[in-house]
Amino acid sequence: MKRVKKIDPALQPDHPRKLSVRIRQQKWLLLMLLPALVNILLFNYLPLSGWYLAFSNYKPSKGIFGGKFVGLKYFKQIFHEMPDLAYLFENTLVMNSVSLILTLVSAMVLAILLKEIRWKPVAKVVQSVTFFPYFISWVITYSIMWSLLSTKSGALNQILVKAGILDTGLNLLGDPKYSWMLIILLDAWKSVGYNAIIFLSAISGIPLDQYESAALDGANRFQSVWYITLPNILPTASVLLVMNAGWLFNSSLDQYLMFTNATNRPKMEVLEYYIYRSGIGKLNYSYATAITILQALLGITMMLIVNQIAKKLNQAAAI
Amino acid sequence: MLYKRSVGGVIFDVFNMILMALLFIIMVYPFLYVLNYSISVSSRTVGTLLLWPHGLDFRNYTKLLSDPALLRALFVSVARSLIGPFLELFVTGMAAYALATPNLVGGKIFRTIFILTMYLSAGLIPTYVFMRMYGLINTFWIYVLPSACGVFELILIRTYMESIPYAMREAVYMDGGNDFQAYWNVLFPICLPVNAAVLLFDILGQWNAYSDTQIYNTMAKKLYTLQYVLANIMTSQTSLETLKNSSSATTSQGMKMAMTVITVVPILFVYPSMQKYFVSGIMLGSVKE
Repeated sequence: MKRVKKIDPALQPDHPRKLSVRIRQQKWLLLMLLPALVNILLFNYLPLSGWYLAFSNYKPSKGIFGGKFVGLKYFKQIFHEMPDLAYLFENTLVMNSVSLILTLVSAMVLAILLKEIRWKPVAKVVQSVTFFPYFISWVITYSIMWSLLSTKSGALNQILVKAGILDTGLNLLGDPKYSWMLIILLDAWKSVGYNAIIFLSAISGIPLDQYESAALDGANRFQSVWYITLPNILPTASVLLVMNAGWLFNSSLDQYLMFTNATNRPKMEVLEYYIYRSGIGKLNYSYATAITILQALLGITMMLIVNQIAKKLNQAAAI
Repeated sequence: MLYKRSVGGVIFDVFNMILMALLFIIMVYPFLYVLNYSISVSSRTVGTLLLWPHGLDFRNYTKLLSDPALLRALFVSVARSLIGPFLELFVTGMAAYALATPNLVGGKIFRTIFILTMYLSAGLIPTYVFMRMYGLINTFWIYVLPSACGVFELILIRTYMESIPYAMREAVYMDGGNDFQAYWNVLFPICLPVNAAVLLFDILGQWNAYSDTQIYNTMAKKLYTLQYVLANIMTSQTSLETLKNSSSATTSQGMKMAMTVITVVPILFVYPSMQKYFVSGIMLGSVKE
C-alpha cells in the first residue's frame, strides 16, 4: 500500500517551499540577526585566518597575509625547543587539572554539607559568601592576596614573625616552590561556591521519594547521602569535567599577568602567558601563533580523551 | 524530619557547623582585612589581625578620590560597564529572537555558526593583529565591540524565549506588525528577567576586565581602567598623580588597600541580584547545557 504523505497545513502556516519567498517573508528576522552575525564574523571567524601567521614570516608592514610562506618552520623550532618549553606544559596542565578536580570535589562536598544543615539561614549565608569571590577580578584577588601573603607587609608573615614562629617571612607570592599550591588553592577559593550552586540545583532535582523509601528501609543520613545523593550528582560532575577538559591547556591571562613574576616563573608561567610574552612582548608573532595552534590541538585531543573516559565510566554522563 | 536523631547525627551536625564557620572566615576575612587596613591609622596596622579598624583615618580615600588619574580611570570603567552591556544586550537580544523562531531560514546553520565560536578561539596574536587592522587599538571601542555578541548570553535569552508561546508574536502579526516590533514591544518586556540577568553578568565582566587594557591600550593613558591602574600600582609601576607628588616613590599599602575597596564596592551592589538570578536558575540553565 502506498503511504500518502499528508502535512496538516495548519501546522506549517508560513512555510512555503521557495527559498526566495521565505527570505523575503523573514527579512525582518534576518535583519535582526545581521549585527550579531557581522560581529562574530569580524571578531571570531576572520581572526581564525590569522593562524596563517604561524606558517609565514610575518612583517607588520606587509599585512597579515603578506609574509613569506615558510611551512612548518616555527613548529619545527618549537619541537627543537621542547626540552626548554616542557615546564610550560607541565605548569599549565598540573595547575589546571589539579584545580579543576579540587574545585569539583570540594564543590560537591560543600553542596552536600549545605543541604545537610538543619538551620537554613546558616546555609543561605554560607552559600552567599562562598559565591562572592567568583565575581572578583584577578587584579583584586592579587591585591588582597598581596596584603595577606607578601613577605614583609603581608599580615600572615608579620604575625608569624611577631609570634616568633618564623625568623623571616615566607615569600609565598614569589618563591616558585609555593606557586602551584597558591594557584590551586586560589582557584578553589574563587570558584567553589559557584560550582556548589550547580551541584545544589542537581541535588534539588532528586525525587524526594528516593529518600523516603530509603528511610523506610532504615537507612541513616550517611547512607542516604552515599547511596542516593552522591550517585545522583556524579553525572553533573562528569559533565562539568568533560566541558572543562577542552580548556586544560588554556588559562586566564588576567590571572597569570598578576601572579607571574620574575622569580616564580619556572613554576608559575603557563602557555597563555608565554604566548603573551613572546607575541606582545617580544613581537615574535609567528612563533606565538604556532604555540596557540599547538595549544588548540592539544585542547581538542584532551576533550576527546576525557569524553571517551567519561563515556566508559558513565554511559549517561557523556555529552 | 526523615531521620531519627542519633548521637552520630548530632556529632555530624556540630562538625558541619564548625566547618561552615571556618569556610565563612576563609571567604570573608580577606575582604574584612583589606577594608579595615584601608581605614586604619597606618602606624597601628603592623602585625595585627585587624578584625576591626585600629583608629580611623579616611585620608587614603580622600587622597585617591581627588586624584585626576584615578577619577579618569573610574570614569572609563563606568563607561565601559554601561556601554558594553547595553550594546551587547541590543545586538544579542535581537539575534536570540531570530534564532528562537522555529522556521527561520537557515536556522540550523546560524545556530551552529554561533555555537562553534564557543569552541573556536583564534588566540591572542591573530586576534591582536586583526584588531590592529580594524584600527581598534588605543581606542575605547576595543573594550565594547569585540564582546557585542555574547554567545553564552545568546543561548540564555533564546532558551528563555522558547518558553514563551508563539501566539504572542502572531498577535503582533495580526495587527500588521513586523518582527522588529514584535521583539521590542512584546518579547523584550516579557524577557525582562533574563535580560536583567544578562546585563548584570556583562556589567561584572566589563568591570573586572583587565588584560584587554594591558594588551591593546597601554599607549592610551586616557583609556586606563580602574582595574588596570590598580594592577599597575600593585606591580609598582605607579601612574597616579598623587604618588608622583608625594615624597616616597611607592604607594603606601593603605592606599593600595583603599583602591582595592573602591574597586570591589560596585560589585557588592550588583552581587545580590546576580545571586538571585543564578539561584533561581536563569543563568544556571545555560551552564548545564
